[in-house]
Amino acid sequence: MAIAGPGQLNIIESPSWGSRSVDCFEKLEQIGEGTYGQVYMAREKRTGEIVALKKIRMDNEREGFPITAIREIKILKKLHHENVIKLKEIVTSPGPEKDEQGRPEGNKYKGGIYMVFEYMDHDLTGLADRPGMRFAVPQIKCYMRQLLTGLHYCHINQVLHRDIKGSNLLIDNEGNLKLADFGLARSFSSDHNANLTNRVITLWYRPPELLLGATKYGPAVDMWSVGCIFAELLHGKPIFPGKDEPEQLNKIFELCGAPDEINWPGVSKIPWYNNFKPTRPMKRRLREVFRHFDRHALELLERMLTLDPSQRISAKDALDAEYFWTDPLPCDPKSLPKYESSHEFQTKKKRQQQRQHEENAKRQKLQHPPQHPRLPPVQQSGQAHAQLRPGPNPLMHNSQPPVAAGPPGHHYTKPRGPSGGPGRYPPSGNPSGGYNHPNRGGGGGGGGGGGGYSSGPYPPQGRGPPPPYGSSGMPGAGPRGSSNSGYGVGPSNYPQGGGYSGGSGAGRGSNMMGGNRNQQYGGWQQ
Amino acid sequence: MAANFWTSTHYKQLLDPEEVDAVHPLDKEKGITTEDFKLIKFHLANYIWKLAQSVKVRQRVVATAITYMRRVYTRKSMSEYDPRLVAPTCLYLASKAEESMVQAKLLVFCIRKQCADDKYRFEIKDILEMEMRILEALNYYLVVFHPYRSLSQFLQDAGMEDMTQFTWGLLNDTYKMDLILVHPPHLIALASIYIASVYKDRDTTAWFEELRVDINAVKNIAMEILDFYENNKMCPEEKVAACLNKLALKPQI
Repeated sequence: MAIAGPGQLNIIESPSWGSRSVDCFEKLEQIGEGTYGQVYMAREKRTGEIVALKKIRMDNEREGFPITAIREIKILKKLHHENVIKLKEIVTSPGPEKDEQGRPEGNKYKGGIYMVFEYMDHDLTGLADRPGMRFAVPQIKCYMRQLLTGLHYCHINQVLHRDIKGSNLLIDNEGNLKLADFGLARSFSSDHNANLTNRVITLWYRPPELLLGATKYGPAVDMWSVGCIFAELLHGKPIFPGKDEPEQLNKIFELCGAPDEINWPGVSKIPWYNNFKPTRPMKRRLREVFRHFDRHALELLERMLTLDPSQRISAKDALDAEYFWTDPLPCDPKSLPKYESSHEFQTKKKRQQQRQHEENAKRQKLQHPPQHPRLPPVQQSGQAHAQLRPGPNPLMHNSQPPVAAGPPGHHYTKPRGPSGGPGRYPPSGNPSGGYNHPNRGGGGGGGGGGGGYSSGPYPPQGRGPPPPYGSSGMPGAGPRGSSNSGYGVGPSNYPQGGGYSGGSGAGRGSNMMGGNRNQQYGGWQQ
Repeated sequence: MAANFWTSTHYKQLLDPEEVDAVHPLDKEKGITTEDFKLIKFHLANYIWKLAQSVKVRQRVVATAITYMRRVYTRKSMSEYDPRLVAPTCLYLASKAEESMVQAKLLVFCIRKQCADDKYRFEIKDILEMEMRILEALNYYLVVFHPYRSLSQFLQDAGMEDMTQFTWGLLNDTYKMDLILVHPPHLIALASIYIASVYKDRDTTAWFEELRVDINAVKNIAMEILDFYENNKMCPEEKVAACLNKLALKPQI
């Protein structure tokens, strides 16, 4: 457990008390939208250091400094760990008005307060949504292990994060992953059994106990979210994209089975159990749906996505899981490829530009390219680790109906133009939002030599046996197999060039939906 | 409370008694002595405690609020940070930080009910503004470790649970002094146990020996507490008022 070394928290060193002005920084670009304000990339004028500034909006606050910000600050100031984002300092914006003496009294805080964080190049969602991005298995293990290590540290320090999701997992170009956005986090104590709100955690990552209205809960809520992310990394897209609470529960039940007193003792006493109790029997089919996952991965996932929170695996036990101790081992973060900065916010923005572009293209009677796919992990890890996945993967042999290819000759002006369409998830009540299988598309190798989508015919795209949840919503092609050059960031940019994937044709080119996960966020994020 | 005390800023910011007692130059100019300074803080601690009774918050909130107040005055002057506003604002901020949120409206109402003196009356906006200044003065360090938790563990370990009330009361009283800024909380808890065992004639020598703490440090804290009881039977209202008048009332901000 690292504690801040000298000089890391410059607050301690700051010679005078009271915070500096935000004018010490030069805002460069907006990189995100936090729970209560925007996030900017900025440069400290004096040192040139790049930081992230998170604005705490103070207007419309009848109760002064927002309690959410107080929680976040309090928590961040006591957590010092390499997998938890570091709060460097807090600065205030003087705001435009000053009184006669030039004292910024009163109005001083109307301008806003900023939390200054170390800058991180990516968030996991932004990274995963990059066109053509595919994580190698050791890379996934590396991220998962860091996520669990950071979370374990939070949990032993009695902090619940309560908003674990890809866009809150920041990744730097050293491959380090850090938990961020503690705006919903809370201290809990095991002895003080307080009622907590169940309106936390982004819907898709929210565990069944919260959806059922539980107000007494613990670290297991975060572990459910971790399970969702884990599955998403392996699967290539979110596994429970519900549009509202009932649908969310339904999606969970469809995969994990319906809760009852046998698999979840006490569930019937949770406040809304009777309202949401499924009317038909539902079997757990996680193993069936994700049967193509690696055995140890599936085992771990099973224990994370356990309905009963008291039986769900803890972060500590998850770190001890076979998964992390069998070949291919998690890689060293430093060995991970470096990517050009990508945050979900930016990917989204680019996708919007992309959409614009596509609409133009459409007008030229070009076929609308399918949404940007997320790719499942690279299945072979190159020389270092021989065998990734025990057993043959049945899905790899499926014949694949060719899918409408992307527009030929479709060029993007930007070297790494966002791929994919507007990134819609199919409207969620649609069962086809469901599970698709990675690993179809056998030889996605050579596609997309040129820029972006350009020329290359899309490799045949597979669809496996009718997936249990259907897959009609899946758009066909995507920039699978598009080579590095399309992104203009050099060979180190993409795992394919790196050590993990060299030469493996297998397993490329499955077409997972990426998409705009925020699209359906409305309404429940408070 | 989470996180380890020894890695916390609370620990890193523990001060020497001289630092805590140092009167800010601006206040010194107004004739405030170290005695006055201590007395005002004693008074504010009482004020926060009474106010907390009427808004009904836990002792922990009171303890945190008083600690904030004391931390503020290690850095800021009473001339610029009106004690009569700082006290309720610290309670307001502590109520948020300790997850027992009290509405500013209610606080203002309770102040009105409780204080006849106009100088204690403030509007909501005054409190909200002072909250920001206090946050800055505290440099946003809001975590405080209190001796209460270690107290119950110690008492259990020593088989002295019957002393809970007595020692707990002693700990409450320690917030009338600056102990929390100077000593690690577990030593303060031990000092209260030490006093209790002397008063109630319990032999705890062996138990203390096994703890491997610096028993002299514990004894010194205990002496400080006893001295305080000796010298401050009560908080003389008139004297406090005189001190506060020295500060020339509201600074011109």
